[in-house]
Amino acid sequence: MSMIEKTREALLSLYPDQVAASDDPEKKEEESAQEEAAAGEERQPGVMITDYMTRGTHLDLLCEADQVVAAAEIMDRLGYFLEAISGVDRIKEKKMEVIYDYNRSDEQACRVVVRAFLPREKPEIPTVSEVFPAASWHERETHDFFGIRFTGHPYLVPLLLPEDADFHPLLKDFKP
Amino acid sequence: MGKENVPSSVIQFAALDTLLNLGRANSLWPMTFGLACCAIEMMCTGGSRWDISRFGAEVFRPSPRQSDVMIVAGTITKKMAPGVKTLYDQMPEPKWVIAMGNCAISGGPFKFKGNYNVVEGADQFLPVDVYIPGCPPRPEALLEGIMVLEEKIIGKRRKSWPRRQPEKIGSLT
Amino acid sequence: MSVPITCRPDETFVLNLGPQHPATHGVLRVKLTMDGEYIVKAEPVLGYIHRMHEKMAEAGTYAQFMNNTARMDYLHALAYNHGYCLTVERAAGIEVPERVEYIRVITVELNRISSHLLWWAAFVLDLGGFTPLLYAFDDREKILDLLESVTGSRLTYCYFRFGGVYNDIDDNFIEGTRAFLTRLRSRLPRIYHDLVTGNIILRKRIEKIGVVSKEQCRRYGATGPVLRGSGVCYDVRRNEPYSVYPNFDFDVPVYEEGDSMARYMVRMDEIEQSMRIIEQALDQLPEGPIQAKVPKILKPPEGDYYGAVEAARGTFGCRLVSDGTKTPYRLKLRSPTYCNLSMFGEIAEGMLLADALAFMGSLDLVIPEIDR
Repeated sequence: MSMIEKTREALLSLYPDQVAASDDPEKKEEESAQEEAAAGEERQPGVMITDYMTRGTHLDLLCEADQVVAAAEIMDRLGYFLEAISGVDRIKEKKMEVIYDYNRSDEQACRVVVRAFLPREKPEIPTVSEVFPAASWHERETHDFFGIRFTGHPYLVPLLLPEDADFHPLLKDFKP
Repeated sequence: MGKENVPSSVIQFAALDTLLNLGRANSLWPMTFGLACCAIEMMCTGGSRWDISRFGAEVFRPSPRQSDVMIVAGTITKKMAPGVKTLYDQMPEPKWVIAMGNCAISGGPFKFKGNYNVVEGADQFLPVDVYIPGCPPRPEALLEGIMVLEEKIIGKRRKSWPRRQPEKIGSLT
Repeated sequence: MSVPITCRPDETFVLNLGPQHPATHGVLRVKLTMDGEYIVKAEPVLGYIHRMHEKMAEAGTYAQFMNNTARMDYLHALAYNHGYCLTVERAAGIEVPERVEYIRVITVELNRISSHLLWWAAFVLDLGGFTPLLYAFDDREKILDLLESVTGSRLTYCYFRFGGVYNDIDDNFIEGTRAFLTRLRSRLPRIYHDLVTGNIILRKRIEKIGVVSKEQCRRYGATGPVLRGSGVCYDVRRNEPYSVYPNFDFDVPVYEEGDSMARYMVRMDEIEQSMRIIEQALDQLPEGPIQAKVPKILKPPEGDYYGAVEAARGTFGCRLVSDGTKTPYRLKLRSPTYCNLSMFGEIAEGMLLADALAFMGSLDLVIPEIDR
């Protein structure tokens, strides 16, 4: 089984109600094609196989905010490393998105993206810095730019902005 | 930062002043204050191709207490600005400031509508003597800046390096 | 060499390795809690050169951001150009002509050699050796002359465009590059290795200093020579090939020890491998156009895209969120030294201050890339 398959199987354990439906390979391709076609509509939580040549990633996972730590533990067990954490301010949908990029350092190349949506007024998400210490600085930076609170972070102080900064510059409605 | 009165010297020299200025100008000791990309061009100027040592300025001192000129090479951000001012205050008189690169002159490429972190120019809080434009300026531009500063200190330009007039466009065939 | 901390908390003092320091390669501040000469706790403080690149991406068009890519890591600016162009071309579905890919590879590898030469010079300068800087800068000036003849700038190159490059390379450049490679090949063993690498003082300063294990690299997300010096063979050019790298025959140097000497040797070997790539690229260079047909105002389709390249310091990643308009909605730049430096707090505990600086030098930091 290729790494992409193995990772997908492991991540599907986050969605117990979807496991039964996805064992049929033809149905899998149909599912991912359908999900691509329905990109304009709201995407449902789940694992999607993406085309590496256009998107740059192999797997795309959408989950709830409280599932990111479980997803990080699965990735850690499979031997991935955390490459980056980004935040996106979706002001039109009144949501904030947190994107985790995972990558492998052996020959089986597989890039995985984990996304979670948070409400824009009170964006809170548990920290993954217990699993990956790299997240410590990435989360501090995302907090600086967007004001997202990472609950459980040991040291959530400004990293790139001055220590007494109380503004979050990358929000879409930020006025300097 | 309040106003500070720098008292004039108790002892006034006359003709000896010229000699002292000549000495100061020909041995300007810069402070290693490379902040960003312009610092690399400053290092190149200290290298062997564009030898800054010919003009007496190769002794880059890390400590402000031992330097004459602060070459602000790079972008000044709001977090760094108090540090720059402290370093400037720690330098003993007589001291000069060269603003090297577009960022030190006016914020450079980082001056845009949503600017929240870049100080637009070193002259917002420092008295700048020489401005060297470029992004980054070539080492030859930094050498010309040093010579302009020497001219400012002595009163006339070094005879062996006259200021070149720009060629008419199309005159080089 | 790390030693266990045996002093009481009130016997320590705080030393500020301030933003202005000759060995921090930029404006990095490290708050060190010291017990005599040994470090008890090290906390890097960033943000002194935070120049708002990600906000500037949202304030201009895609083409206007090219200038910023060069200023992030100015020592390997062409790789950052390449990473950004790769991501946008992937998003907009632009097909790049073959000659362009070869020109991109030649210039990126030349820039990689100049970046490693400057790293070498600054590293040995930190350890106290002033002279190698002059030799390295001499060779570096030759590379800068070559690249200036083709791109127009010495340091912050904005040479790549979406779907092409700005200027074609001519025979002068090709001959000059071949002459330069011959020259560097003759100087590398004599000056770089005989004088410095084999030097007993250097060996004692950097062997067994700052040992980083594979597991630590993975937990901190370290990439580049730091990862390859710890025994993991990961190079984006080999694992996820982009551009025309599959056409070249080159090795990826890997050393097992994980100390500063291993990282040093990885970079020196990478200089030789880059020279091999350049030679093969010059031999295989095809004729053709240097710019594909691209709309004047680029509007990639809506969605998320990711592109990664191998810069001199590690994996440079670019996550682009596009909403179909002419400005990016969000552009996240993943810089390699950001993750490499996050290891410093853990590894420097128990080290002598001088050894910690040798370790920091071997990480090859460029602070504007960390602060973005």
